[in-house]
Amino acid sequence: MSFTRTLIDNLRVKLGAMDPLPPPPPLPVVPYPPSRVFPTPRRRSAYAEAAAKHTTALVGIGHVGTRYATNVVLQFQAELAVAHAAVGTELPEGWAEANGLLPLHSQVTSHRQFLLRPDLGRRLDAPSLSRLGERARRGIDIQPILADGLSAIACMGSGLTLLGHFTRECEARGWSVGTPMCARFARVWLEDEIGETVNCKVAAILLGERPGLGTGDGLSAYLVYNPKIGRSDGDRNMMSNIHARGAPPEQAARRLAVLAGAMLDQKTSGVPLNLHGLDLGHEAGGGYRAPEPRVRLVYSGSDSSKEKA
Amino acid sequence: MILDRIVPRVLSVRRLPGADPALLAAYGADPKRHYALGLVTVDQDDPTYVALDEATKHARVDVVFAKSFYAGSAHASGALSGEILGVIAGADMADVDAGLHALIRCLEHDACFYTANDAGTITVFPHVVASLGRYLSAQSGLSVGQSMAYLVAPPMEHTIGLDAALKAADVRAARIFTPPTETNFAAAWLSGELTECQAAAEAYAAAVVEVGRSAWDRNLI
Repeated sequence: MSFTRTLIDNLRVKLGAMDPLPPPPPLPVVPYPPSRVFPTPRRRSAYAEAAAKHTTALVGIGHVGTRYATNVVLQFQAELAVAHAAVGTELPEGWAEANGLLPLHSQVTSHRQFLLRPDLGRRLDAPSLSRLGERARRGIDIQPILADGLSAIACMGSGLTLLGHFTRECEARGWSVGTPMCARFARVWLEDEIGETVNCKVAAILLGERPGLGTGDGLSAYLVYNPKIGRSDGDRNMMSNIHARGAPPEQAARRLAVLAGAMLDQKTSGVPLNLHGLDLGHEAGGGYRAPEPRVRLVYSGSDSSKEKA
Repeated sequence: MILDRIVPRVLSVRRLPGADPALLAAYGADPKRHYALGLVTVDQDDPTYVALDEATKHARVDVVFAKSFYAGSAHASGALSGEILGVIAGADMADVDAGLHALIRCLEHDACFYTANDAGTITVFPHVVASLGRYLSAQSGLSVGQSMAYLVAPPMEHTIGLDAALKAADVRAARIFTPPTETNFAAAWLSGELTECQAAAEAYAAAVVEVGRSAWDRNLI
């Protein structure tokens, strides 16, 4: 320590460096906020309540101040959990064989890779390709393909029903239908390679759709005429929400058959396909829909008493 | 907080063995006695004068050149220029190395400016040299080994502080540098017993702080 530094440090203390801080100024008195800023309105819109009886959409759910009510938030979280769980499921190995379907597999090797690499989910791996060449019927009109897609739960749930109904609808119209098959870790565009290999006129892939709030069991169907690798989404026609609360599988199978018929007639699909005059609605029984209230996954205290009453 | 240390930054240190005789002569060295040079630039000039003097106490070197740059390190000619170029010369590179080590040690651990107000916009150098070396003794006309208070501050603060220092202790003004100097500070060298020099430096620093706190005289009506 140098002379000067010691000297100046002492002077610093002498000039007040070490003095205790003055007491803090008194805090201002802040009044407490009112205990209830947003009273819950007792009055509800009769129109919203009536509309809510006819749809699963989130109408007439009310509000508390500027926020959702607790039961609505809990319902939202529960529905999101259903969707997350559906994405997380995997089609078990051997499920296709157990149900009498020709097993196929995309180039994906793990579930994580399936979610991160859509490109690999669009191509068959080598064993599947040779199996397809050996065991599948070739030169047919319609090739239905069952697949897991983004919801294996949906595939295992109503997939077989939809496949069966769709096959029967096609056969009833006198078309030749290809070998029933099931693809694992499949994306929509996998139907191009399969259809090209089996040389079919229309390929129809029926697969679990991207789960939404509360619907982990929905199937979608994508149809393409003259499938070959390189077809784009503009070449496809699709139908979504094939589940009990949307279009039930029997109805959906009929509408898909009508769609496939139009493709065979017009020899095209996708944007160029003329849908005018197609009786997609009535023949498929799609005119009137019975009211579909939302499935309640969560009941809060006040709700449950209301439900019982 | 006031009286915080502002430790000088040594911006460059270069050794020059076997310097050209013309260069030696131009920088005030004696080509017959001096073979090697040690050069430093620092961002504070007055601590460096003290440190150069310190070098003469630790090694057989002479301070041949030491000049402050105009308007100080805030207006330096380059990143390495700082506020001063100091040159020590010796007959032997080892002597110059020893001198440079003593110089740098002094700048790191002893001589430094201090802040004189909370914002740090006023600085003061109230340094006490316990025992003069050959360089500052020759500059001040005092003898080697005497104590000296080396006081530097901006012009107004210095003038008030110097008066306080001279009155607070039994010291004699060896030399007073009125403003403006090269760096626009003002300085004074006071000699006396070591304890008197310390009392003078303390009074000087306290007065500089006081001027910083009340720039306008309270008694002026």
